Amino acid sequence: MNKRVIVIGGGAAGMQAALRLKESGVEPTIVEREAETGGKLRDWYVLFPSFTPAADVLGELRRRVAERHIEVMTSTGVKSFTSREVTLDDGRRLACDAVVLATGFTLFDASLKEEYGYGLYDNVFTSADIERMLSRGRVAKADGSRPRRIALLHCVGSRDEKVCQQHCSRVCCITGVKQAMELKKLFPEADVFNFYMDIRMFGPGYEEMYREAQQKYNIHFVRGRISEASPTIDGRVQIKAEDTLTGRPLRMSVDMLVLLVGMRANDDNAALAEGAGLRRAPSGFIAPRNLFLGNVESDAAGIFLAGTVSAPKNIGETLNEATAAADAAVEYLKRS
Amino acid sequence: MTFFAPFCLPFIIGAAVMFTVLLVKWGVWLYRLPRTDKMTILRGIPTRRTPQAVGEVVGEALLHRSIFRVDPLLGYMHMSLAFGWFLLIAVGWIETVAYLGLRYVPLQGHVFFKYFATGLEHKPVFDFVMDLLLLFVLSGVALAWFKRLRSRALGLRRTTKHVLGDRVALSALWFIFPARLVAESATCGLYGGGSFLTGSLGGWFSAHLSVPGLMNLETAAWWFYSSCLGIFFVAMPFSRYMHIFTEIPLVFLRRYGVRSGEKASSMDQFQTQACSRCGICIDPCQLQSVLHIDTVQSVYFLRDRRYGMLRPETADNCLMCGRCAERCPVHIDLNTLRLNSRDALRNLPDERRYEYLRGLDRSSGSGKVGYFAGCMTLLTPRTLAAMERIFEAAGDAVWWADREGGVCCGRPLKLSGETDAARKMMRYNTDLFRKHGITTLVTSCPICLKVFREDYDLEGIEVLHHSEYILRLIRAGRLLPKHDATRFTYHDPCELGRGSGIYDEPRAVIEALGELVEPSETRENAPCCGSSVANTAIDDGAQLQIARAVAAELEATGAEVIVTACPLCKKAIGRGAQQPVCDLSEVVAQRIG
Repeated sequence: MNKRVIVIGGGAAGMQAALRLKESGVEPTIVEREAETGGKLRDWYVLFPSFTPAADVLGELRRRVAERHIEVMTSTGVKSFTSREVTLDDGRRLACDAVVLATGFTLFDASLKEEYGYGLYDNVFTSADIERMLSRGRVAKADGSRPRRIALLHCVGSRDEKVCQQHCSRVCCITGVKQAMELKKLFPEADVFNFYMDIRMFGPGYEEMYREAQQKYNIHFVRGRISEASPTIDGRVQIKAEDTLTGRPLRMSVDMLVLLVGMRANDDNAALAEGAGLRRAPSGFIAPRNLFLGNVESDAAGIFLAGTVSAPKNIGETLNEATAAADAAVEYLKRS
Repeated sequence: MTFFAPFCLPFIIGAAVMFTVLLVKWGVWLYRLPRTDKMTILRGIPTRRTPQAVGEVVGEALLHRSIFRVDPLLGYMHMSLAFGWFLLIAVGWIETVAYLGLRYVPLQGHVFFKYFATGLEHKPVFDFVMDLLLLFVLSGVALAWFKRLRSRALGLRRTTKHVLGDRVALSALWFIFPARLVAESATCGLYGGGSFLTGSLGGWFSAHLSVPGLMNLETAAWWFYSSCLGIFFVAMPFSRYMHIFTEIPLVFLRRYGVRSGEKASSMDQFQTQACSRCGICIDPCQLQSVLHIDTVQSVYFLRDRRYGMLRPETADNCLMCGRCAERCPVHIDLNTLRLNSRDALRNLPDERRYEYLRGLDRSSGSGKVGYFAGCMTLLTPRTLAAMERIFEAAGDAVWWADREGGVCCGRPLKLSGETDAARKMMRYNTDLFRKHGITTLVTSCPICLKVFREDYDLEGIEVLHHSEYILRLIRAGRLLPKHDATRFTYHDPCELGRGSGIYDEPRAVIEALGELVEPSETRENAPCCGSSVANTAIDDGAQLQIARAVAAELEATGAEVIVTACPLCKKAIGRGAQQPVCDLSEVVAQRIG
């Protein structure tokens, strides 16, 4: 089959979709905005629930892409597209027979929740910052000292009407558990608290991990959102919350406050969707044609969705969906 | 002369009903005013406020000067109807005196004078003047008809949707003057007289109709004219037209200093019934222009309240931004009425809920200058950090009222109708301020500022918004921010601008930092950010829609930084804008030392 499919986005979903397309005898081209493939996977340290290094997964995907001689265009942004043509930022137009959209998500900007002081106080971090610090092998307070008390706050930029993010980002709960365990391993003497609204342990092994965090690691889980944070004179962060299980207000000073930032839809989803005739969900993510029998298809024939461009997902789900999207594209090309 | 004909009956009955109801209503309202208000009125009567009120009644109730400011054509329409009708009555009375000398003439004798005066020698000057005045009023009626078809031509994008009673009264009003024209013309056709209008039409009638036909027309037209008047007069005290006479006592009471308050009082009656339902309040409402909600605007709120069918959904669905009050031609205190309606619907103080206030003091530091951040500034800590830098740079020792958490100023509770609970917080904070002996109280929140100035008893403590405080520091040379080429635009917070009259100070501060460019709607007309604490009815998505509309206007100025002076506005506009939104204190703090 001498057909060409353009995969927009070279993260986990894009690479996996391209691999599957190549396997099926279709010629894929990955168009990646950044200077290298990998997407968000580049920023993660180890993956829940197995603590598998993200670099292992990413390295293997990249190796396969290179081995199969899949064409990759890096530092190439997409301005608009249809199922037959992709227009790049520099004005070039690439002809194709189908498109797999795998542009992923954007991390919520924690500074929008000004009350938590991100970017304003020392020692307020996001979960992405912690991943980076773990990757570099140096987790510490801003002054370089070891934290003695750490609070992780769930649902920052998720399930929050005030910042117009009604949806649940799904993976932050388990990320909070994972990072709490990692921090506890690094600082066994420290008290680690998770402040949550609900704990949503949806994946295989997640619930077990949550239990382990409590029983083996003695990580404290407090049901209640932190309402605000303020700096103390000695450079710590004072947080105010309500423990909604006991119904009591609570204040404590912590050495590190970690904000578990959610996934939000990319800003350019609106423009891309309009140009390609796709529909967006109220959350801003691209809506699949049918949530059951067409969940990797879009409203436009010949355009397929893979990974978190359509909703928050974990990496396993993303990889599965990329395979399904590639298969659906191949079926479409056979019929057309 | 007897001055009676059977057709006068509808008019006589109507007028009797109207004046009776009117006097009873006014009497009851005045009687029910609190004693202090009654004393205020008595003390005010012998002062120059009385002639001032007379002047305002002429300027507003007759000439409708405020409506001219909204739209000249709309102003002319209201003026021709009100002032024209008034002149018809006044000149008509002079006409009767001129014909008959000073003697008693019953009311219908004045109103239907043309009918009764056929046997008298004509005075062409009066014929001419009365025709001119009738033409004046008829031009207003024609405009009113035209406004039904094309309201936009008269400066209104949307007009009021009227209830049945109003429609009956409105129809009667529309027919009064055309009916008068036909009736007077028919009489002139039969007996001569009249000027360019009634005389000419009368001449045309007698040329085209037989004498018996014209006599029938004359009888029918006078009956119709009198019936229209009768219907209108009966409907008047119960319809929107109650405003015609109610505005007069309202003007006097207001001049004497009587006001509506956070609890309902008899004064509210004078205000609600002075609403003419002109609908000028609809267009400025952002709930209408952005969210297409068209059942909650002040005109509908006052109507529902007056007829006892006010629902909480209507009372609560208002930003209380004050844009409508700014344009109200009757100057009704719309926000206060909305507030005391909410109080009546919701004020259920829970005595135990506020026990935690006893003995609470989380304040820190000491100094003659106190700073009250308020809940919203604590949620926007960049502002708080900026204020710390500014106080430090100015070298003022500061007492921090609530940096470690404090008690709410009470205004959000007051705005939601829980006025008694709000009073508890106000008392707590007042005691706290007094205990720490401050002489100046600075706040960066206009919501707190307004309640401190209006509801707190803070004699001896000067209350300043941080924009005023910062400007003072700059003018005194105690704060030396660097001036650069940054282009700023400024959003007027409702509570600061329309609410507290502070427009110039923040602008002066910005001009000390860089260039200020104004958005299209600014100062008194500035829009609300949408997140007003006064509205508990719309959801977050709706608030965001308003914020986006406001942000788009601000970004259209081409400014690099959007500045506001309210933590709530900042948060609201920030989520609708692409560009950075900063509090005034932040941009100042960035430019010092």
